[in-house]
Amino acid sequence: MSPTTSMSGQLAGRNPANESAPVRIAVKDLNFYYGQFHGLKNVNLNFHDRQVTALIGPSGCGKSTLLRTFNRIYSLYPEQRATGEILLDGQNVLDPKVDLNELRARVGMVFQKPTPFPMSIYDNVAFGLRLYERLPKSELDGRVEDALRKAALWDEVKDKMKQAGTGLSGGQQQRLCIARSVAQRPEVILFDEPTSALDPISTGRIEELIEQLRSEFTIVIVTHNMQQAARISQFTAFMYLGELVEFAPTTKIFMNPDQRQTQDYITGRFG
Amino acid sequence: MTALTQSLALARETASVRKGPSKGLDRAFQAASLGSALLVLLVLAGILGSIIYGGWPAFREFGFGFITSSAWNIGTEQYGALVAVIGTLASAFLALLIGVPISLGIAIYLTQLCPGWARKPVSMTIELLASVPSIIYGMWGLFIFAPLFARFVQTPVSNVFEGLPIVGSLLYARVPSGVGILTAGIILAIMIVPFVASITRDMLDQIPTVLRESAYGIGCTTWEVVRHVLVPQASVSIIGAVMLGLGRALGETMAVTFVIGNANRLSASIFDPGSTIASRIANEFNEADGMQLNALMALGCLLFVITFIVLIIARLLTRRAKLA
Amino acid sequence: MDARNPILATAPAAAYPPRANRVRPGRRVADKILIAGSTLATIIGIVVLGSILLMLIVEGIKGFSPMIFTQPTPGPGSEGGGIANAILGSLVLTVIGIVIATPVGVMAGTYLAEYGRNSRLADLIRFLNDILLSAPSILIGLFVYTLMVRPMGTYSGWAGGVALAIIATPVIVRTTEDMLRLVPSQMREAGVALGAPPSHVIKSVTWRAASAGIVTGILLALARIAGETAPLLFTALNNNSWFNANLLGGIPNLPVMIYQFALSPYQNWQSLAWAGALLITVTILALSIVARLVIKDTRAR
Repeated sequence: MSPTTSMSGQLAGRNPANESAPVRIAVKDLNFYYGQFHGLKNVNLNFHDRQVTALIGPSGCGKSTLLRTFNRIYSLYPEQRATGEILLDGQNVLDPKVDLNELRARVGMVFQKPTPFPMSIYDNVAFGLRLYERLPKSELDGRVEDALRKAALWDEVKDKMKQAGTGLSGGQQQRLCIARSVAQRPEVILFDEPTSALDPISTGRIEELIEQLRSEFTIVIVTHNMQQAARISQFTAFMYLGELVEFAPTTKIFMNPDQRQTQDYITGRFG
Repeated sequence: MTALTQSLALARETASVRKGPSKGLDRAFQAASLGSALLVLLVLAGILGSIIYGGWPAFREFGFGFITSSAWNIGTEQYGALVAVIGTLASAFLALLIGVPISLGIAIYLTQLCPGWARKPVSMTIELLASVPSIIYGMWGLFIFAPLFARFVQTPVSNVFEGLPIVGSLLYARVPSGVGILTAGIILAIMIVPFVASITRDMLDQIPTVLRESAYGIGCTTWEVVRHVLVPQASVSIIGAVMLGLGRALGETMAVTFVIGNANRLSASIFDPGSTIASRIANEFNEADGMQLNALMALGCLLFVITFIVLIIARLLTRRAKLA
Repeated sequence: MDARNPILATAPAAAYPPRANRVRPGRRVADKILIAGSTLATIIGIVVLGSILLMLIVEGIKGFSPMIFTQPTPGPGSEGGGIANAILGSLVLTVIGIVIATPVGVMAGTYLAEYGRNSRLADLIRFLNDILLSAPSILIGLFVYTLMVRPMGTYSGWAGGVALAIIATPVIVRTTEDMLRLVPSQMREAGVALGAPPSHVIKSVTWRAASAGIVTGILLALARIAGETAPLLFTALNNNSWFNANLLGGIPNLPVMIYQFALSPYQNWQSLAWAGALLITVTILALSIVARLVIKDTRAR
């Protein structure tokens, strides 16, 4: 049995890609540099509204780099820079005039390792809310509860909101981080290998969660796990050595890719 | 589809309504942190500036002779740094001579030989020695160590070597009082041991266990492992740690002031009293006036130059070691 | 074959000369000397510490009485007296020092770890801070004398406090930076990714994550300046009476009091010096131990 056929089993019954969904993020001629190193080379692709797009490829192919341009988190490091355009709802986020804090409130991000802040569960979720919105206590409580429900964590933590976020298990911490992002009502959520530090059961819960979040948010996920990409995404982009090799609906990438390189990677012949 | 575009428009609207936290506060915070960091530079420059300013008249008056002259005469206003400079260098050198082997011994004992249960308490004890204020070492040196040293070391040694060439003058106490350059060196040695020992221990601990085990695996003795594997690996940082200790010994004031005897005399014997730059400043500064004050400030300049050269070398060595 | 020597045990015996020849006596002697030497060095270290503590306890308890906490230091030749004014003075000077040093040190450490990082300016400041960390404290005394005592025309508690602050600051800068650098960069990224401005991330995330370490640094700085004598000689000086609230003039303090009284010819001064020495050493050792516990406590978590 070849990997391709086993993958097709997982693909069965998935929500099909909606190729007519409006474009939320349009990447045009994107180049990225770490100092002298050319990390992304002329990347062009579109991310569709309320679809999950997976970025796959071998380590060092630039998939995380690409993800980190959408909220310009790379701007923290002076030696990193990007050229080209990334249009979020038509606005170029690479424009130096863009208010980075506001951009990041609109584009949430969840990291590889859970990053609960050293404060209570409640304060963790309210962290972003308090920055941007002056809400009365009751409304703040409501938004926190709402976010935790959306992150499928409410039932587990509703009685210990004042306890430290660092005291939760790894999977719970990751869902807390998702709730923290969701609470801000972003338009896009970026996931950078969100399950690579988690056990299989927690991974399953996060995947279900991503599927639910898709009804409200545009989602981009970087994953090194091809089965995961096949299970949860509608679109998949395969990257190799800083270049976008192929972008298509996930079913097409896994069943019938156009490029030889994609075929080889999917079937495990390299990478 | 229309619903979708509507919700998109709505999302855009909420996005623009978002009012971020003020940029001004962010900038102010960054400026405050930069300002504090620059203050560190300013203080160092201030220290150098103030002692050059204070010492300048003395340098102008005596010129280069200030360093080569051994005079220190308040009546005739003749001042020279030689005795204090030699006292500083000699006591610090003796401190290294005694302190470094003991420090290395302690570090090796703690990392290689010490039974597991004793490691923590012993290393904590050694580290706590580092936080005891220097004035306590001075009191211990003057009231406990010096009498014992006079009775059991200075007197018998002086009697044995009296009249012999070289050692007869180097190790001869005219008045076996227990205080002097060597006593200062010993006290300084005790003070730098915790320093040097704990840095060396950290360095030895950082060497991968695999390296040690493979050396033991081919039948090396502990000595051979230490001599051929551990010490070469950590040598640069150990030298850095020793230089840090040296920097401390050169500038130490209180402990030395208690035990060095505070004499302005150039003597060939390390049993005789002398003085260091720091001890002379501590002793005379408050009563000093006019040229004497300038001469003390000039002494401070010399101390600054000597210790800062040593400290810069030490930091360069330990820094490179950290990167390696 | 010797079970302790697995390499030899696996080799055919005939191929090697007898074992006694392979480990030459010289090697064994060198090994024995090393073991004996390093054990001896450790014993010397412990004996010296023990004798210092013993001296402090024996002499210090002799000088201890409830009076030392109520009476000011006696004048030359007078009977009795205490060290209450010196204790209070030391507290005031140390508090001034740490109150100045803490914000400056924490902010400067924050600059090095969060903003400057590996820039040239940050490297230079880091380097000079390390130098300042081990600079002779008497030079700091000379600096503050020129900076404050001479222009003000009088010794003062303010000058003493500033001198102590200059000694404490590099300690706090160093530990703050080291502790902030231990906070994983993903934590900062997560804060920034929520749209928080950098200063907000530092204040509410990074500082919190490193709080135990920063507190340790402040405690260590406190332990360091509590016993400093040399920089106070020309700044706060000393005084045998109570002091004014404006802190002008010589301010009594334990270290300089100990220095002057220990070297004095008066019996009651000497025993007061011992009592002060015991008090100050116990305080400093306690501070150092608490500092260690604070950091250990969080590591365990």
